[in-house]
Amino acid sequence: MVTSTHSQPRTHPEGEKQLKSRPAAAVVILIAGLGAILFGLALSVSVGAADIRLASVWEAVFRFNPELPQHQVIRELRIPRALAGALVGACFAVAGAIMQGMTRNPLADSGLLGLNAGASVGLALAFAFAPSMSFIYIMLYCFIGAAAASLLVFGIGSLSHSGLTPLRLTLSGAAVSALLLAISQGVAILFHLSQDIAFWMAGGIGGTSWTQLRIMFPWVAAALIGSLMISRSITLLSLGRDVAAGLGQRTRLVQTAGILIVVVLAGAAVSAVGPIAFIGLIIPHVTRFLVGVDYRWIIPCSAVLGSVLIIFADIAARMINAPYETPLGALIAVIGVPFFIYLASKRKGGLT
Amino acid sequence: MSRSQLSSTPKKRRTRETAILSLLAVLIVAMFIISMNTGLIRLSPTEVIHTLLGEGSQQQKLILFDFRLPRIVISLLVGAGFAVAGCILQSLSRNALAEPSTLGINAGAGFAVLIFISFVPATTAAPIFMLPLMALAGAGLTATLIYVLAFRREDGLSPTRLILIGIAVGAGIYAFQLILSLRLDPENYQFVATWLAGKIWGGDWRFVMALLPWILILVPFAFYKARVLNVLNLGDEIPVGLGLPVERERVLLMAAAVALAGSCVAVSGGIGFVGLIAPHLARRIVGPRHQILLPACALVGALLLLTADTIARWILQPSEIPTGIVVAIIGAPYFLYLLARSKA
Amino acid sequence: MYSINLKRAGHRKLASIGLLTLTLILSACGNNNSANSTGGAANAPAASADATTAPASEAPAATTAPAVEKTVTDAMGHKVTVPANPQRVLASYLEDYLVVLGVTPVAQWSVTNGIQDYLADELKDVPTISFDLPLEAVTGFAPDFHIVQSEASVQNGLYDQLNKIAPTYVLGDEISKDWRKSLLKIGELLNKSAEAKQAIAAYDQKAADAKAKISTVIGDDSVAILWLVKKNFYIVDETRSSGAVVYGDLGLKLPNLVTEIPAASRATWNPISLEKLAELTADHIFLVNSDKTEGSEILNSPIWKGIPAVKAGNVHEFASNHSWLYSGAIANSKTIDDVLNSLVK
Repeated sequence: MVTSTHSQPRTHPEGEKQLKSRPAAAVVILIAGLGAILFGLALSVSVGAADIRLASVWEAVFRFNPELPQHQVIRELRIPRALAGALVGACFAVAGAIMQGMTRNPLADSGLLGLNAGASVGLALAFAFAPSMSFIYIMLYCFIGAAAASLLVFGIGSLSHSGLTPLRLTLSGAAVSALLLAISQGVAILFHLSQDIAFWMAGGIGGTSWTQLRIMFPWVAAALIGSLMISRSITLLSLGRDVAAGLGQRTRLVQTAGILIVVVLAGAAVSAVGPIAFIGLIIPHVTRFLVGVDYRWIIPCSAVLGSVLIIFADIAARMINAPYETPLGALIAVIGVPFFIYLASKRKGGLT
Repeated sequence: MSRSQLSSTPKKRRTRETAILSLLAVLIVAMFIISMNTGLIRLSPTEVIHTLLGEGSQQQKLILFDFRLPRIVISLLVGAGFAVAGCILQSLSRNALAEPSTLGINAGAGFAVLIFISFVPATTAAPIFMLPLMALAGAGLTATLIYVLAFRREDGLSPTRLILIGIAVGAGIYAFQLILSLRLDPENYQFVATWLAGKIWGGDWRFVMALLPWILILVPFAFYKARVLNVLNLGDEIPVGLGLPVERERVLLMAAAVALAGSCVAVSGGIGFVGLIAPHLARRIVGPRHQILLPACALVGALLLLTADTIARWILQPSEIPTGIVVAIIGAPYFLYLLARSKA
Repeated sequence: MYSINLKRAGHRKLASIGLLTLTLILSACGNNNSANSTGGAANAPAASADATTAPASEAPAATTAPAVEKTVTDAMGHKVTVPANPQRVLASYLEDYLVVLGVTPVAQWSVTNGIQDYLADELKDVPTISFDLPLEAVTGFAPDFHIVQSEASVQNGLYDQLNKIAPTYVLGDEISKDWRKSLLKIGELLNKSAEAKQAIAAYDQKAADAKAKISTVIGDDSVAILWLVKKNFYIVDETRSSGAVVYGDLGLKLPNLVTEIPAASRATWNPISLEKLAELTADHIFLVNSDKTEGSEILNSPIWKGIPAVKAGNVHEFASNHSWLYSGAIANSKTIDDVLNSLVK
């Protein structure tokens, strides 16, 4: 077989330059980020198809009058949409951070590694065979799909001796994505769901309802708390599995927990808004650049920054070509692709 | 596997190679007959033969010569084209995982065709001959972009970086495709969606005519360059030592591969993995010498795609699924298997 | 009236009698088109009714040639040779017109999850063909004349292949968006212009009667037509589909939201967000619900319930098997029945 026989660098991409963590910067990011989230939420709620002034937003929240259609619109449509954006941004970003930390792979992202595609297959099957399924089952289907995809992708890595190199992981992610995409396309074409699925594939948080949020929230919250709990172990894993094991880490346990958390985060997010790639790639990198290598800070900061990114991207998606909405997933890809190329070509000799 | 061949005498080797190529040809003929018999309307093998000999009814002639045969011919040509393109790219990049679709070239060609379909009303026959040119332009632009992004002065064209950037550019193009295709009205959308998923177009002789010149020029060109490929596959230093203009040959062969892939995409849509699997299988059977590898590759590719297309037509009668989906469902697991076994 | 079906009335005598009556009708209309009158001979509508009573049939009939094949130009500029007497017609998604003209198609349009339900009775013995017209399936039905609705569905060489199976005429989007033009055109192709005109006249009469009844009941109230599918609402404007019936033929008043959509960006069904819908001031809503189970969540949301017409209980809901999503003499006539049943108690 012709294969590239180059050795892999065993260090973390940013590791050599910034082994220190910067808690002060992290605290600033958390506080400023939360401020930005609040501002973004307010802005997001006041932007939409129907003209609503900020004053009525305030009234709708604090002096709700069910007789006014404007108040209903704010309560039932805009607030859930904004909150869904915040939640989903945190999901994708944290999933990406955990994956990058665990696999020591700078190119890990739930979209690039096929998890989103797995969840999409789950969703396509749900649409095709049980069109009137309630959201909780749709979400469970997405979990199963994402879990199957992650088993495939990570399974490939563990089958070979040298483990999950960035190149191998990215390639197996691309191949698994292609396979799963083919399956969902097949299902969609067979069942004549094409454009429904396409709209949803493009990613959009337009139709999120309180019911969806209510079902999603406990899962996401549990996963986020779980990610904070294993954040210290992930820091150690990011230094190398041998290092972590030498420090008395039960690496297998941590990795299993990490994968479970990633599956729940990606599955829940995809079931609500569709597969949006690149958030999990960009945000953890930016965060690591700002706060250093300690995942106890990286994870919460990623969550906050991911929320900020999605909230503002969603506002942009609504304003760019009003009254039509630009698909959110495509919008993020426009930022994400150059970033990916930058990461891939920045490293000396590529990833070889 | 190659060691045993190197030790055998040239004469023995030639006999063996001829035997393998003949076997592949026989398999293709067998698949051809099965494929001719596959379809909604039942035609017995004897009826097929009668019709081929010019004795069938009007309806049988229509079905065989106007519907099934062009499609089979296109499958064979596209399969061979993708396989040879993939083989060239793998040898040039010295990377087992290179192929038109992982390098984003298919996506670029597809995007160009999508733009063409969206903005030019396809009312007349003229666009059919334009499609390979559009696809070519798209493939060429994408390949140039990837090349420029992946090339670095200090270490040239790193194979891994090439692939990673290919994947990234492919993802970006996919996003734009999505935006564009959502703007289409549902009827056009259905068409484009099926096309992007890799459907061998109805199979019209005009598509065969549009594709044929490209295959007839570029595949023999690749065969002609087999020895250069042998040398380039060894790495940059050796060919330079042998006095070969490495960069020029590489760009030339790269252009040929891109043109092959582009013209195939134009008539077959987004079919991936053929360019990956066929060279691998061929290499396993005949070893790494391009003089024999390239023809074997073309035959394996043609056989693979014809089989996939027959399955696609047969599995869900009376409707059919896009061939690209069948290829991906067979091809992606094989790709993963290769990945799991590879050592890098 | 136009339901008299004499498909196999090939007998020369009957035909010539029919021809006479037809010629009379046509000349009475002042629109005597020779191609039509020749073609109409075989299947004239009044043939059986007048067969015994028509006087002196010999003279004029003898001078006219029997139906001959004709060459016409379709929407894409193809020269199409229409057979003299198409017996096996395939016209996917145009079945409404065929039924009106008394022609039974060889196959009917279908998708994975259904057919045109409102025509289920008329077409119950007709086999289905997939909407994307697989070539071998088309060949299997051995049509002798094929009509295709839109240019987009036969692009990139598909037309040529279909045309090899049988002469294929593309109606074109320009004509097919207007059901009257479509019916007249198809009538002309199938030598049934008289039936087409009669059907239109009957429909117009029915619409006029209904309009008079409705205007006395609801006066100047505005009505909206909404389609709920996959949790999304679509609203129809006054030019197409059931909108043309309700606003055009029945003269009902457009709601505020439709008038606000810029004319350039209007489609047959315009997507409308729930946000916008909250501002709908229409007095009545006709709701075509294709989302029986999934959509119930939306129909229970406070926003939907806050819309004035919903509050007042003026929502008239129809399942998706009603004719509202389709267009044609039968579809529109059934739509009128639905409107009458809903508004005139």
